[in-house]
Amino acid sequence: MTIILTRRAALSCAVALAAFPALAQDAWPTEPVHVFVGFPAGSSPDTLARIITEPLAQRLGQPVVVENKPGAGGVIGVQQMLASAGNGHTFGTTINGPLTTAQRLMDDTGYDVGADIAPVTLIATSPLVLAVSADSDIGDLQGFVDAAGAEPEALTYGSVGQGSGAHLTAELFADEAGVSMLHIPFTSYAEVTTSIMGGEIDAGFMAPSAAMPHVEAGNMQMLGITSAEPFPQAPDVPVMAGQAGLPDDFRAELWNAFIAPADTDPAVIERLNTELNEILADPEVQEKLLAIGWKAAPGTPADLEERIATDTEMWGAVIDRVQDSQ
Amino acid sequence: MTTWEGLLYGIGFAMQPGVLIYCILGVVLGTFVGVLPGIGAMAAISLLLPVTYYITAEAALIMLAGVYYGAQYGGAVASILMRLPGTPQSAVTALDGYPMVREGRAGVALFAAMASSFAGSVIGIMVLVMLAEWLSRAATAFGAADYAAMMILGLVAASTIGTDQFAKGFAMVTLGLLLGCVGTDVNSGVQRFTFGQTEFLDGINLVALAMGLFGVAEVIANVRDPDRQGVVERIGLRRLLPGRDDLRRMGWPTLRGGALGSFFGALPGTGSTLSSFLSYAMERRVARDPSRFGKGAVEGVAGPESANNAAAITAFVPTLTLGIPGDPIMALMLGALVIHGIQPGPLMLEARPEMFWGLVASFGIGNLLLLILNLPLIGIWVAMLRIPFRWLYPAILVFVCLGVYSVRGLTFDIIAVAGIGLVGYLLALAAFSPALLLLGFVLGPLIETNLRRALLISRGDPMVFLERPIAAGFVVATAALLLLSLWQAWRRRTA
Amino acid sequence: MRRDWPDIWGGLALAAVGLSACGWALAYYDLGTLRRMGPGFFPTVLGAMLAALGLIVALPALRRTGVPSRVQPWAAAAVLASIVIFGLGLSRLGLVGATAASVLVASLPAPQPGWTWRMVLTLAVTLLTVLVFSFGLRMTLPLWPRLP
Repeated sequence: MTIILTRRAALSCAVALAAFPALAQDAWPTEPVHVFVGFPAGSSPDTLARIITEPLAQRLGQPVVVENKPGAGGVIGVQQMLASAGNGHTFGTTINGPLTTAQRLMDDTGYDVGADIAPVTLIATSPLVLAVSADSDIGDLQGFVDAAGAEPEALTYGSVGQGSGAHLTAELFADEAGVSMLHIPFTSYAEVTTSIMGGEIDAGFMAPSAAMPHVEAGNMQMLGITSAEPFPQAPDVPVMAGQAGLPDDFRAELWNAFIAPADTDPAVIERLNTELNEILADPEVQEKLLAIGWKAAPGTPADLEERIATDTEMWGAVIDRVQDSQ
Repeated sequence: MTTWEGLLYGIGFAMQPGVLIYCILGVVLGTFVGVLPGIGAMAAISLLLPVTYYITAEAALIMLAGVYYGAQYGGAVASILMRLPGTPQSAVTALDGYPMVREGRAGVALFAAMASSFAGSVIGIMVLVMLAEWLSRAATAFGAADYAAMMILGLVAASTIGTDQFAKGFAMVTLGLLLGCVGTDVNSGVQRFTFGQTEFLDGINLVALAMGLFGVAEVIANVRDPDRQGVVERIGLRRLLPGRDDLRRMGWPTLRGGALGSFFGALPGTGSTLSSFLSYAMERRVARDPSRFGKGAVEGVAGPESANNAAAITAFVPTLTLGIPGDPIMALMLGALVIHGIQPGPLMLEARPEMFWGLVASFGIGNLLLLILNLPLIGIWVAMLRIPFRWLYPAILVFVCLGVYSVRGLTFDIIAVAGIGLVGYLLALAAFSPALLLLGFVLGPLIETNLRRALLISRGDPMVFLERPIAAGFVVATAALLLLSLWQAWRRRTA
Repeated sequence: MRRDWPDIWGGLALAAVGLSACGWALAYYDLGTLRRMGPGFFPTVLGAMLAALGLIVALPALRRTGVPSRVQPWAAAAVLASIVIFGLGLSRLGLVGATAASVLVASLPAPQPGWTWRMVLTLAVTLLTVLVFSFGLRMTLPLWPRLP
């Protein structure tokens, strides 16, 4: 297929490096494409990457090799992508953390999101659910906020680590609802689930796919979801926005994005964006993503850039508050 | 479905050619990658994951599980013959297995490892079938305080192994605990002792640590060793098989190890490491002559090998009954199910009984296959010892590097092996026990996070360790063990 | 008198490591409270313990005789160098180049003169490595040196 390079697309890439002469762009890709993933094989971000790179390989007519470089919440994947960049065939998929909060939470990530990374497209988003034990006296979101508001740190909640999406979402929720909860950091949703079921902690902010099986088995209940609209995987869970004193525009989502090193040819980014948008429009791909808890959410490179900016600001404010309170 | 019906159904399911072939494939591959230093079940399963797209979910799980427990058999071979343990539990096997090899009893050591691995697996399978529900309840009943108390008991119980001097052993455990602090602190997010290296944020790579401390240090010590130049190593058939005395010594340790492993394996976390160390410590304690340990005591191979294989089986309890993976490898296997559109969880078994019973049956079939496969291989492994060391060690080094690299694909970890290897060599020169360092390293982060979590949840009340019955039990046991050790030391001095 | 040098040096080195870890943790990481233990608590305590244990190992060793260890500086240097060469070379020289260089360096301290067997060994190990890891286990590794 031919590539239509529009003026708007070129601008949207907003890459000053366009001055560099592009390698024969009509022929791209001339060799296997490498996609770096900052999580281990078999993890949710890895499965997501494999779901979209399989059709991508067919469309590009070159193999797409997924390179798992797990570590530091995905930051190592981005670092390794940047370290192997240079031939125009190196890309990455990453969750939001390394692009939005890592610069605040880590001593040094070794890269500058604005200067070193070119956004390609958002791939998918995932909300979090607030889950409590089925044995809990709390039955809905209002009840939860009431119980949490009884006194500071009346309730404990588990997350997958200090500064994780689950932790920051919970703190955003607590701040908007005007309560304070005691944060208990864990390292995986499996641990959080065990602890909720064992009655050790009161609640957890979790990925819907991690909570769903235990809800279906009658061990846990979900009180609310952080997305703006009900999530297809768990349509019965009420949206948090506008409930229990939360503002109408309350929204907190994790996401996964396709990125490139900043010096990638804008025409290549445009091509990838087009291909990925078409792949993500395929209902079969959407269904596969949903099965692992991700809702397809493609867009333009500019959309992703804007998402990075707004989320960096939003989570930055939450991090400020958390760090002040300690 | 009753247990017998389930088992019969499972055996029928697992014996279908289309399933059996993947069981065989899994255990053969598991043995093979287990023998390669550093390439563990984790790396092998990650590499196999794409293959599972093309087969049924049950066959995929049976194959990956085969790799998982098959790698334990292979791992024992590498740690006994070459002192190249890729995991902390096989480091325990090397404690006495390797001295046996140096005594020319390699065949006996390997036979003990294979036979007790098989026996341990059988014990694990019986426990899994009969007590799965009880064990899964135990797994959720364990809270942070209970885990912290249990790990501390394990640490105290095991800290006397592998060394004659208590202070030296305890120093190694402490060094291990300290090295376990490297990386991002789970509770505060603070980066400790990372010195600006992002690669250290998740801690020091365990495989790099094990390979550096054991394998590399051992290679350096043997490069110019005239004994290792392969002139005299002549081993007759008599030396390949254990004598009546060896067999008699293996029985009880195997049973005790299997029981320990079955229990600890079912607890999410690090059951298999803890149970092999505990089994070794227990055998040393009950032995009439504890000084034989570390110098080629067959009990020191049989007990821990039985324990870690039993633990490998019961580790499937929380994974299958609750849908909660106990360790990263289990998480990976559940990931393989998700790819097949199966949502792992408590309801998975009701919806798919063939999954549970088929898998359980495949454990039995797979372990039998492993025994049949590995016993004849003993002769070949032992024959390998006749190759002069100079032909082997350069390959060992390259394999070690690639094994470490396979964990997360960072060349940084290979460079780290060199640094750790130097430390390991120096520690070996001064006769410090690297196994205890590994134990501290593995348990340290678990003790720290669980202790801090317990105090956070109890709002700073240390009584939580005495009020929870499970935790209190472990605290009392730890205190009793310490008192016993002190009393024994006092009696030895006055005697 | 021939003292127990391995224990003396070993103990002192551990004490030094413990002391520095303890000092570093005290200087940079928060100790916290019993309710909310900070990141500094464990390293501080463990560092102090290691320092004490190191001294307990080292001091009695001053008054007893020990067996001197046989140090192999050449073997150590060659083995460690071969690992570093492999680590640094893997992405630049590819699997084939890195393996060959690493095997050759590693074989240097072996007590057998001559270059023929070293070349044969290098070829054999390189071939085996490529077969096992690249084709057998399908690890994604560059095979050949990267052209500039």
